[in-house]
Amino acid sequence: MYKQYIGANGSLANGILRLSDNACIPFDPANTDYANFKKEILADEAQIQDVDGNVMTQSETDAFIGTLP
Amino acid sequence: MAGKIIVSTLQSDTDNSISFVANTGATIFSANISHGIAGSFIANGSITGAKIALGTITGDDIATGQITGNLLTANCVSGNNIVANTISNTSIQTGAVENYMSAVGLDFGMRNRIINGTMIVDQRANTVGANTVISSNAPYTVDRWRAQISQHNGSMNVRQDSTSTAGFTKSLRAIVTTANTSLPATSVTRVWTNIEGLNVADLGFGTANAKPVTLSFWVRSSNTGTFSGALTNYDEVRSYPFEYTINTANTFERKVITIPGDTSGNWSSNTDGSFALNFSLGTGTTNLGTANAWTGSWKVGTTGSFSLAGVLNATWYLTGVQLEEGSVPTSFEYRQFGTEFDLCRRYFEIVRLTNDGSLNQYPGAGVAMAWGTTDVRMTLQYYPKRTNPTCVMSGSIRLATSAYGATLTSFTFDSPGPVTVLMYNSSTSGFTTGNALQAFSQNNTTFISFNSEL
Repeated sequence: MYKQYIGANGSLANGILRLSDNACIPFDPANTDYANFKKEILADEAQIQDVDGNVMTQSETDAFIGTLP
Repeated sequence: MAGKIIVSTLQSDTDNSISFVANTGATIFSANISHGIAGSFIANGSITGAKIALGTITGDDIATGQITGNLLTANCVSGNNIVANTISNTSIQTGAVENYMSAVGLDFGMRNRIINGTMIVDQRANTVGANTVISSNAPYTVDRWRAQISQHNGSMNVRQDSTSTAGFTKSLRAIVTTANTSLPATSVTRVWTNIEGLNVADLGFGTANAKPVTLSFWVRSSNTGTFSGALTNYDEVRSYPFEYTINTANTFERKVITIPGDTSGNWSSNTDGSFALNFSLGTGTTNLGTANAWTGSWKVGTTGSFSLAGVLNATWYLTGVQLEEGSVPTSFEYRQFGTEFDLCRRYFEIVRLTNDGSLNQYPGAGVAMAWGTTDVRMTLQYYPKRTNPTCVMSGSIRLATSAYGATLTSFTFDSPGPVTVLMYNSSTSGFTTGNALQAFSQNNTTFISFNSEL
């Protein structure tokens, strides 16, 4: 399970939280954890929570993933 | 007296010799033999170096192949006798220099493309020799090395081990904790390391100019037999399976595999993964192939090779792994620990804020700042990373002034870059805006890690 989080400037962070180990994963295509995140989400093997902890719907997930590098 | 004597035939004396005897007082016999003396008339050892004046024999006088190595005595040719470009590259047999360097233990610098081939760096283990359970998640064990069990229910542990061979102090050990003798066709059990494209780009894999590489390593197992592995590309669509034989149980043996350069496939030359060096410890038939040939699919070993995964408590040790350009193995390239450690930290770094309690001192994490009453921030620096790292903090860090402090168990990392990241917590309270805060740990378990692995 992954979760969006708020960055230090108060807006959505440029990364995603991996809840299993509280890892902050940057949206960097060369980062292997980020590549695995996208792979898992696109294969429906994992879900994303928004900043309030609500699990995103499929359309919300698709829209979010569509904004990522 | 006449200046010359002309004879048409010299006839030997009764002892089959021909002699020129000078009168008393003559010290020099000189002759101008304009038509030469054939080599067959000169007995072995009859002309020594001391009898040949400097410059008498020039390179043009020596026919190709006339002087072989075993005719040259030690030190007879010194460096200042060899004019620049006298010896061309094509005059030196392949491997002649490498074999010599290897035999005398000399090294060319930084030729080993494997990082932590001695298994000496083990940042992830918080205690020496701690076991890592191999899983489908392919955890890292010693730095840069991973282990994986996929699609079967056997199990293994891997760890850094002090069992090693001469010249090395550590090895990577795998031990079977649950055997599986019926591996599914698609299963995999392997230990492997990935190599960044920047570190092998010069080898030209995937191009017509691909160069051969030579793999050498020390391996030991409780079981003898034909083991296998494979060099693959990171995309897992090109593979070169290879075999090696363990002849004696529980004894380290050095193995050498020469691999021709692959002229096909995608082999990254940038910061992405390019090579993957795999050692199979029990793999299903789908992922096994023919030894010593490049193939256009992912293989991690050879068909019919020994499956360690099928033997309970079987062990396998690996150290001294070297992958280098060329077809000749050289001696293992020892790098200073600091160099090896830095090479590892490009991919993973862990800062353990360990407090041993003996001095009642708290290891510091750095200096933080109260950005607001509920918002504390700290910039962390780390060794330059391959790419922006994944950041994890585990445990707790106390932020305090002499007047106020709070112990925080949750920090978030914002926009990690190649060398720095902002760590912050914006849900605390009680701080005075603008205060500098000492950041430290009060336990033995807190760590911060930065991960840019391939």
